[in-house]
Amino acid sequence: MQDGHDAETAFEFNGTWREFAPIAFTNLLLTIVTLGIYRFWAVTRERRYLWSRTRFIDDRLEWTGTGRELLIGFLLVVLAIFLPLFLLQFVVQALALRGHVAAAGLLTLSLYGLIFYLIGVARFRALRYRLSRSWWHGIRGGSDDQGLGYGWSYVWRSALGYLTAGLMIPWSMSSLWNRRWNAMSFGAHPVTSQARWGKVFLRFILCYAVPFVAMFVLIIAMVPMMMVAGDPRAMGGMFIIIGLVFLAFYLILPMCALAFYAAFLREAVGAVHWAGLDFAFEARTRHWLLLFLGNAGLWLLALIVALVPLAALGMFAGLANLQAGQSPFADSPGTLVVFFVAFAVPFALVGPFIRYRSWRFGVRWLEAGGEIDLDVLSQSTTREPTQGEGLLDAFDIGAI
Amino acid sequence: MEGVWHYDGRTARRRLPRLTIVPDGFLLADEDGEDGPIAWEALVARDPSGSDPVYGLKGRPGWRLGFAGAIPPEIAPLLPRAERYGRLVDRHGLGRATLVLGAIAAVVLFAVLSAPRWIAPYVPASWERRLGDAIVGDFGGRLCNGPGGQAALNALVRKLDPAGPPLEVRVANIQMVNAVALPGGKIVIFSELLKEAKSPEELAGVLGHEIGHVRHRDVVQALLRQAGLSVVLGGLGGDAGGSFNALLAATYSREAESHADRSAVAALAAAGISPLGTAGFFARLGRMEARLGRAGVALGYVSSHPLSSARERAFARSAVKGRAYAPALTPEQWKALVDICHNDPKVNRTPFFGL
Repeated sequence: MQDGHDAETAFEFNGTWREFAPIAFTNLLLTIVTLGIYRFWAVTRERRYLWSRTRFIDDRLEWTGTGRELLIGFLLVVLAIFLPLFLLQFVVQALALRGHVAAAGLLTLSLYGLIFYLIGVARFRALRYRLSRSWWHGIRGGSDDQGLGYGWSYVWRSALGYLTAGLMIPWSMSSLWNRRWNAMSFGAHPVTSQARWGKVFLRFILCYAVPFVAMFVLIIAMVPMMMVAGDPRAMGGMFIIIGLVFLAFYLILPMCALAFYAAFLREAVGAVHWAGLDFAFEARTRHWLLLFLGNAGLWLLALIVALVPLAALGMFAGLANLQAGQSPFADSPGTLVVFFVAFAVPFALVGPFIRYRSWRFGVRWLEAGGEIDLDVLSQSTTREPTQGEGLLDAFDIGAI
Repeated sequence: MEGVWHYDGRTARRRLPRLTIVPDGFLLADEDGEDGPIAWEALVARDPSGSDPVYGLKGRPGWRLGFAGAIPPEIAPLLPRAERYGRLVDRHGLGRATLVLGAIAAVVLFAVLSAPRWIAPYVPASWERRLGDAIVGDFGGRLCNGPGGQAALNALVRKLDPAGPPLEVRVANIQMVNAVALPGGKIVIFSELLKEAKSPEELAGVLGHEIGHVRHRDVVQALLRQAGLSVVLGGLGGDAGGSFNALLAATYSREAESHADRSAVAALAAAGISPLGTAGFFARLGRMEARLGRAGVALGYVSSHPLSSARERAFARSAVKGRAYAPALTPEQWKALVDICHNDPKVNRTPFFGL
């Protein structure tokens, strides 16, 4: 089963951004001229490329999803869910204006509950859809579960996670991960997952404690400041403390969350078994950090690409002496269009390249070990969903 | 022929069959048996595996035929071409498809942007009234009925709009400086605006502006435009679509705003009411905005009716030197109007929900 491949790793990505770039550029072009309708086909083209450049053991993956089924999924969600929600919003407004505040509040609350439930269902069904369209060795994945029960599970487990002051979040994340993956299969073999929340709880608690520790340190630091209050030098100290608070909130807290998430994914993926194979995900916090720094670099690059031509054309000259209440675009709608295009095109290209980097990152750190018997690995008998991940698309969240 | 590999779609085993060309297609045979004959037209090009071209078979999910290395020249012309951008675009080529689709997109956008202007006059007034009733109701018991107030307000409305079909102008007990035109010829003035206005002339300009919106059917146009844009740009998704949508809607509402200002100026001139009061009112609101900052007046008159020196000047310039302007209302009428909520014991006085 080695077939001359690098036997060190079970997963390997061998795409290049030079091959990917023409796909991203033509996707954007066609998406613009079709007023966005093409984006379903754009997603499909991206995935076909990423999957086909990903080797698992001895053969590459294959994406067989189509733009048409994604479009159908989207339309179904708009008609069945978003249109009613949109209309109900008017009912809420009318109730509030007529003074039925309690009824309006109750209706709003139940709408939020329903949306929460649907997000859970969406995550499950997106995973099921993606597995059912992913092929390897002529075999696909899937699930016989519709995910409606998972939606409830998602609601009460998440609610419990937050209601216990967040302390049960590791439990809700792990148990939902297990519940999702235990319902999936690839070929005739079920996927099993036994992620344990206890393994990541220590890191979670450390993360949890950071704001309290920061607060404590701050109070201690305030004491000497108070003693020299009124001294101009104390003002400098105040600024340092304010700076430290910002640092804590915008740097340390996200870093802690990242450290927890990295540990969680290592535990969660490491708990997955399928057809005699054990999976592993080896990315550590510093690798995740590099991924995000790279993504931030892409945004920065897009900003530079957007600003340089505008500055060269002297488009900012008119903005320097703008008066309050005056619109910079009132006299020239053409300027508005130039601004929109100059910013929208580079920023719209960031998304595909971030997805490319994320996929490459995932494949790079994903591992599998064990023995697999391809002769007994037979085709999946699960029902293939007939439409795409419209619900997930609508809520704009990730599947894994 | 050797050098082909094959998955049958039933198990994951990779087979290495012999491919034999027969009159109506080809056969695949290995030690386990034979598959075929399979017509060349039934093949579908799939993404390559490494450098190996791969084909699937219609009606047989998972069935794959791969060619190790290059495709033999005698087979190559029989095989289908791979789909690239999608069937429709592939058929016409990327360049031509882009031009045609771009032209269609431009026409659709233009139609959606200009359609409300053509459709709005044909929306029956009864529909619009019912829509207004449905949205507003009785404002949760906030519409004020202090003695003499409504009569004074009606008198001012008649002066500004003597000819048109009847309007329903009311004062609502809401602590915001604002006035809004709603579907169905309804105009609601929020009580705080009456407190800020120092004279009936100051109120007259604001009222004339809202009457302008009603007479140009701006409200229905705005509703139609929002609905149309959200359908067309819904496909774009994400933030880009949403912010572009808001930008387009905003540029149009500015057009409607200046239109409403022009009819307010005309109405004041026709009624013989001095426009200087309104100009002064705008100047005062502008100073108030500068003092409180944008956040302080959010949701108020200034955020929905951006003030500018140009707007203020348009009113100030329309004043005719030496013309003897009559007062818009008598002092008694003005007092009754200002106190319309204060003098109404039955009006709802709780803080307005959600605002």
